[in-house]
Amino acid sequence: MSLNTDFMGKVAQTAIQGVPVTLQIVLVALLISLPIGCLFALIRIYRIKGLEQLVKLYVSFVRGTPIIAQILIVYSAFPSLLNMFIGKVAFSINPIYYAYIVFTLNSIATLTEVFRSALQTVDKGQMEAGLMVGMQPRQTFWRIIFPQALISALPNITNAALYLIKNSSLAFIMSVKDITAIAKTEAAFNYNFLEAYLVVWVYYLIICYSAEVIFYLLERYFSKFRRSTKKTTFFNWKPLSIRQPDLSADADLAKGGRDEHAQNRPFKKRL
Amino acid sequence: MLKIDHLKKGYEGNEILKGISLDVNKGDVISIIGPSGSGKTTLLRNITTLERADGGHIQFAGVDKDFQKLSSQDIQTIRRNVGFVFQNYNLFNNKTALQNITEGLIVARKVKKSEAEKIALKALERVGLSDRQNHYPSQLSGGQQQRVGIARAVALNPQVIFFDEPTSALDPELVGEVLKVMRDLAESGTTMVVVTHQMNFARHVSNKVIFMADGYIVEQGSPEEVFAHPSETRTKEFLTDILANV
Repeated sequence: MSLNTDFMGKVAQTAIQGVPVTLQIVLVALLISLPIGCLFALIRIYRIKGLEQLVKLYVSFVRGTPIIAQILIVYSAFPSLLNMFIGKVAFSINPIYYAYIVFTLNSIATLTEVFRSALQTVDKGQMEAGLMVGMQPRQTFWRIIFPQALISALPNITNAALYLIKNSSLAFIMSVKDITAIAKTEAAFNYNFLEAYLVVWVYYLIICYSAEVIFYLLERYFSKFRRSTKKTTFFNWKPLSIRQPDLSADADLAKGGRDEHAQNRPFKKRL
Repeated sequence: MLKIDHLKKGYEGNEILKGISLDVNKGDVISIIGPSGSGKTTLLRNITTLERADGGHIQFAGVDKDFQKLSSQDIQTIRRNVGFVFQNYNLFNNKTALQNITEGLIVARKVKKSEAEKIALKALERVGLSDRQNHYPSQLSGGQQQRVGIARAVALNPQVIFFDEPTSALDPELVGEVLKVMRDLAESGTTMVVVTHQMNFARHVSNKVIFMADGYIVEQGSPEEVFAHPSETRTKEFLTDILANV
């Protein structure tokens, strides 16, 4: 078996038009669901009567059904629903809007749980300390609690974002012309399925890896108050660079341990 | 200056404070001692409105009301006139030592940033940590963190500073540095209410000692009275126990 590389090149060129579509779905879903997820998490943590039950129900509804079923339902229900209000125009709406809806609803549920667990990692003494220096609960939340919770949340937000990127490939079911959809069409025309799918594979790999790097940099930026973050590049293979942190009080972390760590010296030397 | 009358607090039918009355005058250094579970920490948390008391009256900083009737305005007034040093420091983890102190000044007191930094530096100097101003709490030892905690309370220039077992979470060798800072504060005339297990501090630094047990104030008086000539058997038992372990 040999790969038709010419065809792969061709698919790569056409499928690249799908990249902005994929990114659009991901960005819209993330940007809308981040604040709402945070809000829902707060509703659950502060047990706001009535709303708390609704959020719980919503989260288990979304988590309890496969995303493909959600897509199929939204895609079949919404146009007919809208048809009742705005008439036939409903059927000519760009399907990407349905993709926005499904993936946003989905991410809200995931991020609600992400923020809920992250906010609970912040000790309640932080709030008390804020109150005791005369700050209002709201001020303490935004200035002290939230920044700390955000850092605990970032690894899981990264996770959610990566799932979102990959799940967005299901948008082809709603005839959204994203990377997957374009490659599938090309493949079907030419019967070169494997080649087309390999291209898809590589594109998602690149997008996901870039997202990982971006989130890693964000995490490093926001967690400057935590000593464990190291100033290294991301090409640093963890298993070889893990080392017991220097816990002595006087260790000047800005210099000492961290730089040495950053140089990522070979494993042997350290033993 | 601060007067508490018949403060009561319970949790789910379990009464922790059964009517505590307390007078704090300007310049007082009051040590509250007693066995664990006697309600010492709960008392501080209720006076400072971190928790809502079930009954009792407070007279402080222009507020003269029953605890249950405190408005959010009153609570704000009380909080702005007290300082609190926590057992486990509770420094803001995402702020440097200096920012920990300026935060309350800038956000709550609306002090200008440059002015706040000047005050904060002075406070840090007072606890001997001006060289650590840009360190985050995770980069400081327990003793240093607690000293920043004290500086944070001092910088706000409150009428009273409450200390909730400030040395109980510290390694034994770090207790001394914190006690020294507290002793300096006491000598400079700061009004302090200290819950402590450090009998030496209670005996030699404070001008008044309160012995609490089972939600009551069992005995109070000058350190000399309480330590050398306790009148209640409960006090004698406690002191014998605790001094036997030193």
